[in-house]
Amino acid sequence: MIDFTQPTPVLLSEERQITETRRELVLNMGPQHPSTHGVLRVRLTLEGEMVVACDPVIGYLHRGVEKLGESHRYAQIVPWTDRTDYVAAPSNNLGYVLAVEKLCGIEAPERAQYWRMIMAELARIASHLVWLGTHALDIGALSVSLYTFRDRELILDIFEKFCGARLTTNMMEIGGFSRQIPPALPEMVRDFCRYLPKAIREYEDLLTENPIWLARTKGVGIVEPEIAISYSLTGACLRGSGVNYDVRKAMPYLLYDRIDFAVPLGTHGDVYDRYLVRVEEMRQSIRIIEQCLDQVPADGPLMAYESNYVIPPHERVMTTAEDMQRHFIWVIKGFSPPKGEVYHAVEHSKGELGYYIVSDGSPIPYRMRIRSPDFVNLQSLPYMAQGAMLADVVALIGTIDIVLGSVDR
Amino acid sequence: MSDEQQAPVPALRPREPWQTGYWGPTNPDEHPAVIAVRQRFAEAFEEAVTFRDEMTIRVKREALREVVAFLRDHPELRYNHLTDLTAVDMLNLRDEPRFDVVVQLYSIPRRQRLRVKCGVNDGETVPSLVPLFAGANWLERECYDMFGIVFEGHPDLRRILLPDDWDEGHPLRKEYPLRGYRDYVQPGFERPAPRVRGSLPRPRP
Repeated sequence: MIDFTQPTPVLLSEERQITETRRELVLNMGPQHPSTHGVLRVRLTLEGEMVVACDPVIGYLHRGVEKLGESHRYAQIVPWTDRTDYVAAPSNNLGYVLAVEKLCGIEAPERAQYWRMIMAELARIASHLVWLGTHALDIGALSVSLYTFRDRELILDIFEKFCGARLTTNMMEIGGFSRQIPPALPEMVRDFCRYLPKAIREYEDLLTENPIWLARTKGVGIVEPEIAISYSLTGACLRGSGVNYDVRKAMPYLLYDRIDFAVPLGTHGDVYDRYLVRVEEMRQSIRIIEQCLDQVPADGPLMAYESNYVIPPHERVMTTAEDMQRHFIWVIKGFSPPKGEVYHAVEHSKGELGYYIVSDGSPIPYRMRIRSPDFVNLQSLPYMAQGAMLADVVALIGTIDIVLGSVDR
Repeated sequence: MSDEQQAPVPALRPREPWQTGYWGPTNPDEHPAVIAVRQRFAEAFEEAVTFRDEMTIRVKREALREVVAFLRDHPELRYNHLTDLTAVDMLNLRDEPRFDVVVQLYSIPRRQRLRVKCGVNDGETVPSLVPLFAGANWLERECYDMFGIVFEGHPDLRRILLPDDWDEGHPLRKEYPLRGYRDYVQPGFERPAPRVRGSLPRPRP
């Protein structure tokens, strides 16, 4: 067992060890570096071109979402969750509304749950497309990003068709969806599902057997399974090391237990395996979306209106007295969940996204904690970068798949 | 770790939406982790609470590391994944202890979660979990940054999200005002934004 309180010894080659004067150079990478995916700063200690120590400095995008959560009513926090991980906003909404629904003890109708799954999987594909484009761009394959951003537009068009927004969608609501599914939307999603596998083959043609890509990614940033578990990694970073943990399979939420899909696993735990895992995840997401579209009821309720925690529908507010009173209270005061604490995790595109909410019985959460996957995954960067080359650090930051809005919250 | 070693997925579509079985038995007297911890740490064990089927074990803060190490290394429990470590400021809810340090554990082979809590007052220290889980490093640093809880045995306890020279205290404490203690002039504005909503200063032409 490795003692993690001690700094990891750096394996230097022999002639480097016998050098009497080690000439170390401290290099700041970021916060405005194009390959750090935002405002990440990495303080690198270099010896020649080899990384001796690596210290990620974060917090440049810290907006205090958790503190803001303690001063907003439950339904008002949903837009804040968009702003944490803005490339996969529906997944963030999903984690939060599921945690609040668990706290309140309500459940969205079946049709809404299917559409939530569809939107979350589309968000996963969109996030992976951004990741693939920027990761390849960092390593030097410029053309991939043109392809992936082209296809991400199609997903954003679907989001726009559904809720009017493209990036910060504010899509999910506590209890389901209050907006209707546009009649053309299922066919749009189906068209996208028919199209994307062809596009994924294009990306793979560009990368998977590309000798430059292989040289830059194979054997780089190896994380052994035990180390990955010890670093609390989740998502593709953990599965790339061969540990089978996917929240959708291990603890199915929504209706994932009715869906047939596979969890891709890596074998070596290097950058290349994590790339393969994420590309395969996109294909599995397509499978999930297609099954959801087959199974989803054509019509039916989209919101759990029978619950007291949900804002009543407009037509009932206008016709019945008690619903008008409920609507009034809901808007003026918000709703008060029971006292207690819940933790709910969803499989975000980056890993396990968990919301831990403590309620004191008031309409404002007493504590709202976001367990963001990127924050936890990013701390394995010093481990991966020990003894690596400077150019590999760019590949390592890319392979962790961070969004600084989610790291800093 | 292959599929054969893992426990089967719990039964489909339970009665209530939150009754998932992902946290083990709901009765603390039947929960294997509660039984084992109560037996092994008779003095440090305080209580076991269930809400929405989520099992929470509360222990004394001195024993936190031993309890988590016991849960991790126990051959039948194997809570080997530290999902989350955070804290809650309980200032408005009780007199003391002031904070709750909340550790979310997960067992990858058994597919079960568990929450371990310990209470800590301002100025007291909590044993760090970094010797057990490397992933506790940044989570504890964030906890220190936001609440000022000191983790004893942490190799590198300094601020992480806020600047290193932040001298205004710890923002997730309940007495910390939402907009901070100080007024800051924003770029493009002549005077600081007022704390009361309404009359925002005009931007300079």
